[in-house]
Amino acid sequence: MRNYEIMFIVNPTAADEDVDKINGQIEGVITAGGGKAEKIEKLGKRRLAYIVKKFREGSFVLFTVQADGAIIREVERRLRVMDLVIKYLTVRMDDDMKRLAKIKAHRQKRAAHRGRARGEASDRRGPSPAEQMPEE
Amino acid sequence: MAMQKQYYRRKKVCKFCVERIDSINYKDVKLLSQFVPERSKIMPRRISGVCTPHQRLLSDAIKKARNIALLPFASE
Repeated sequence: MRNYEIMFIVNPTAADEDVDKINGQIEGVITAGGGKAEKIEKLGKRRLAYIVKKFREGSFVLFTVQADGAIIREVERRLRVMDLVIKYLTVRMDDDMKRLAKIKAHRQKRAAHRGRARGEASDRRGPSPAEQMPEE
Repeated sequence: MAMQKQYYRRKKVCKFCVERIDSINYKDVKLLSQFVPERSKIMPRRISGVCTPHQRLLSDAIKKARNIALLPFASE
């Protein structure tokens, strides 16, 4: 199982129900294949940076998905076939997530190490602004 | 060494290292658009001062954003 993000643009003239219908279909494909749609976000209408199929704007939808490659292939095939979907993009996220986790762990380790070196083990929230980590 | 420059040039620093921005996401148009000038080309490192690892992530993110029409490929 891998983590993916699927983003697609729906025809701006499509009704809200149509967008919901597409979302339902895609979610169905994912769950039927044994995957999981973790998040479905409608990002609303946005101006496109360039003209796609004669449209200057489109409504964006973002899926956060946990699935196998075969499911993704099927989803992409469906998206290609749907007339209302004018563009889609699938991005694999797990490499990125792994990288972020590594950086975070590294920072925590360093912060702990620095605190100990200064004998501030009791005071975890070090007063020095240099070691102030962004809260996550 | 040629003629010595009289004025002091500020050393450029990588925005992502300084502000500790770890994830360069393709959805973050506001962040990415700081690195695409008017012609919508990707800003070179020698101008923006971004370090090599971050520039690599940045250019990947910009290319993804272009693909889904969040950023233009070219604009005249």
